[in-house]
Amino acid sequence: MADRLTDLLVAPVSPVDASSWQAALADATAMLARLAVRRAGAGPFRVTDHEVRAVLHGDAADRVAPSPFAWSARTARRALGLAAVRLLVAGGARSPVEAVGARLDESVRWVHEGTPCATQLDRWVAGLSPAGRAAVGADAVTWATRLWCSVDWAELGPAPAIAIGRDRWWDSPHSALLALRGRAEVRTDRANLVVLSGPRRDSARAELALVTLVESLRSRGGDAPGRVVGWWPDSGHLVRVEPEPAVLTLGAEAVALVLSDAGAAVRPAA
Amino acid sequence: MVLVAPRPLLGPAPRGTAGPHRGNGRDVLALLRGDTVARPRFDPGLAGGLRAWLEDAAYGVVAARGDDAPALFLGPRQVLGAAGGRRDDEGLSDELVLSRLVHAVFRQLVGRGEVGDPLADALDALRAHGDDDVVRHVDALPAAARDALSDTVAFHVRNLEDLVPRFAPGWMPRTDDRVAIPLAGGRVVLRGTFDLLVGLPQPDTASLCALGLTASGPWARERRSLHFLALLETLRSGAPPFRLALLESATGRYGVEDVREEHLRAIASHLSAWLGRGALDHG
Repeated sequence: MADRLTDLLVAPVSPVDASSWQAALADATAMLARLAVRRAGAGPFRVTDHEVRAVLHGDAADRVAPSPFAWSARTARRALGLAAVRLLVAGGARSPVEAVGARLDESVRWVHEGTPCATQLDRWVAGLSPAGRAAVGADAVTWATRLWCSVDWAELGPAPAIAIGRDRWWDSPHSALLALRGRAEVRTDRANLVVLSGPRRDSARAELALVTLVESLRSRGGDAPGRVVGWWPDSGHLVRVEPEPAVLTLGAEAVALVLSDAGAAVRPAA
Repeated sequence: MVLVAPRPLLGPAPRGTAGPHRGNGRDVLALLRGDTVARPRFDPGLAGGLRAWLEDAAYGVVAARGDDAPALFLGPRQVLGAAGGRRDDEGLSDELVLSRLVHAVFRQLVGRGEVGDPLADALDALRAHGDDDVVRHVDALPAAARDALSDTVAFHVRNLEDLVPRFAPGWMPRTDDRVAIPLAGGRVVLRGTFDLLVGLPQPDTASLCALGLTASGPWARERRSLHFLALLETLRSGAPPFRLALLESATGRYGVEDVREEHLRAIASHLSAWLGRGALDHG
């Protein structure tokens, strides 16, 4: 698995025809501007991969009004696991067990010392009993170990060039109410790795296209970003989305569908 | 269960048991480690062959159920049967409650190596998980029943304290590692969860050990469940775990065995036949 996944993350990205790319980016930008203007004032829209999946995949569970968010071992494992992998990549820990333990200790210390950087998650972790914290740590260790063991990190380049778990947002310049989130667990100059859960689904390409779209909209020069690799740790399955003009269209159309909640089919990317 | 330890590591088998032995964490660890140099290599085409076999069976199910039927999710309980005919969607039985409590403490033992009050720790772990159904069930018990449950959990945990090895962090121990293998374009999904996996995945080499925990057995079914999970790991990563261990918290027995191709073929054959004859009834 480490070989296959790493190969995809380090392989050179195929060159993209610059004029086709710029034209697709302009079209996508214009489509988003129209959406933002039309929907302005109707409430804030923060479009994420979750919304794209809910609209395109059409799972009943996705469409049910979500229950209020609450921290639990399940909702905390990604954040804690990513912090652990970040520590491992930086050489600050030798194993996921050690890295997660350090992160949990950090939460407790920050809260007890009243450090301003303590988050809601830190406060929740600090309030748990040792047994509760062990359960949270166990989930985070499993999450982190799966990611840590599935990539040959040395192949990705020097540690400073690897960004772990930094979601990126694009705020529409046309409406303060529209923001798109590009979620990727690992980023290098060549690729973005997205850890996927749930079943393999037709909407996965559109979910990953949203990452490409956000990267492209944020790029000052309008250059094509790296490829996006989706990985299901449960099955070992991989899907890759190359930066092609059709992917920008797919991403923009997915955003439009989310905003209209039409649920119609999106043209698949090439 | 085939025991793989060198003879000096094995204690005498209790009368009336077939294979599993009483032991302690160090024994289990030694059995799991085995020969660290000679890790078995499996035929690189094995995973593909097994997948093709199961894909054929899964497409047969899809043909019978129709393309629009919802995905069929199959775990060990569905494929191998559950004790007393219990299914996942039924209410909480005493057996299930005990199993979840013991499992929660097992994870704590793996991670921290120590337990305070077993029942209280288990409930705290389940609360942190948001598994409120078990917590509510226990909280609603009369005092006498709760005391009895506390004693039972403590008994299981004492056995586990003897059984569960202390893994060095470098073994990469991880609990509740989920596996889900889609077949027939995702319309049939084989799934399961390893109670504990240790080891680093290595290309083309079986390099993982899997440990299963059972609170009450039956032993043979739990062993088959581990074989089922070994098959899923083969389909996920291309190689099975090279060794399996089954720990029984009610008795303190354990067994360790190497995974062999015939185990994988046997469970794949069972699964293929099950899909062929009974998926519609069971779906």
